[in-house]
Amino acid sequence: MKLYDYVLSGNCYKIRLFMAFLDLDYEKVGVDFYPGREHKSDSFLAINPLGQLPVLEDNGVVIRDAQAILVYLANRHDPSGQWWPQADHAQFAQVVQWLAFADSITGTSSAARLHDMLGYDLDIVAARAGAHRLFRILDSHLSQQEFEGHHWIAGPSPTIADIACFPYTALAGDGGIDTFYYPAIQRWIHRLTRLPRYHNMPGINVFA
Amino acid sequence: MDSVVSFAGWMPAGLQNAAETGTSVRAVIFEDDIAIWRGQDGLARAWQNRCPHRGMRLSYGIVRENRLTCLYHGWTYDGTGGCAHIPAHPDLVPPKSIRAKAYGCVETGGMIWVARSESSEPPPQISGTWMPCRTMQVNRSLTGLAEVLGTGKANLALAMGAWAGQLRVAGLQGAVLLAVQPMGARGAMLHACVTGPEDLTRASDWIESLRGHLERPIAA
Repeated sequence: MKLYDYVLSGNCYKIRLFMAFLDLDYEKVGVDFYPGREHKSDSFLAINPLGQLPVLEDNGVVIRDAQAILVYLANRHDPSGQWWPQADHAQFAQVVQWLAFADSITGTSSAARLHDMLGYDLDIVAARAGAHRLFRILDSHLSQQEFEGHHWIAGPSPTIADIACFPYTALAGDGGIDTFYYPAIQRWIHRLTRLPRYHNMPGINVFA
Repeated sequence: MDSVVSFAGWMPAGLQNAAETGTSVRAVIFEDDIAIWRGQDGLARAWQNRCPHRGMRLSYGIVRENRLTCLYHGWTYDGTGGCAHIPAHPDLVPPKSIRAKAYGCVETGGMIWVARSESSEPPPQISGTWMPCRTMQVNRSLTGLAEVLGTGKANLALAMGAWAGQLRVAGLQGAVLLAVQPMGARGAMLHACVTGPEDLTRASDWIESLRGHLERPIAA
């Protein structure tokens, strides 16, 4: 398997993290996202016309979109079925719902980070406000899960929904978004970084 | 926003489960930035959120046993705030003058309370057993909170006077202990504890709706 990757991308990190949890071998192809803008080059647009990272290639299959890659890897490489539970219809729908939510986190928290770190020209006030609106929802949901004795987004064990929501929540501080407002999110981040085979990325504070 | 920028007595700083064993978290009270961390001995400590070395937030710190290590250069402080180790000078016994600035810190009513070290006020003692429910940030200054609460939502205005108070909420078996932690321009944190697990979900829904009420625009 080949992953088109940028080390500081939270969406690429989702895939690296899941690869680590599944203990999979793969090849990383570094893409010069900044300052080279290689993801907008003709050669990369031939791989992904959206000009976005990450992209996964596996035996001739080319998949773009971080959430789609998580789904693919879970279906293909997780015989336990833990990461993409399909037996329970309600839980299945929950995972899909939070995968979509993760994309909204990218659209707000990641956007704020691109503004603050790489100087992207965008409405930073709207990006931060949008992220806070989502984090309130996530904090409330994780609190409800804790009341039920569950520690993860969609049930009793971690799923790809947790992986999808994790990076741009944990990296929110890079975009000037304070997550100390959300104690249940803080506990969830801490639990996730304590999972066996957890693999970190620069910018995420791991309590050793 | 709030004209008050400092505090004299004991203030709520979070629910007990906000600082789990082996972690350090951030709390803001008015203009004070505070790191709250819990060692393996189970004791919560509250310190100025600033490493005496280079000013790094100690809420990013690493807790090992009953010591806190700054993420930046590894200066390590014992449970009382004294510097115990400087990695760049491994053979040096750090001078006693190098200390993290400690606040008073106690736990009662399911919550963590802090006071400035110079405060002579006795720590709060809240009777009964309280279970942490929710902490919620509310975008409303203390003045704005008082204004909204003053318009007659339960007995909240009374409870606010002492930063925490017990309330009866319709539909709940027991009472709610509600505390307000003002954060200046950041608004405030509301902390809620309940008397038992049967009330967790309903109390959580109640405090969500309370926040919605508090954040509604104030009529001119």
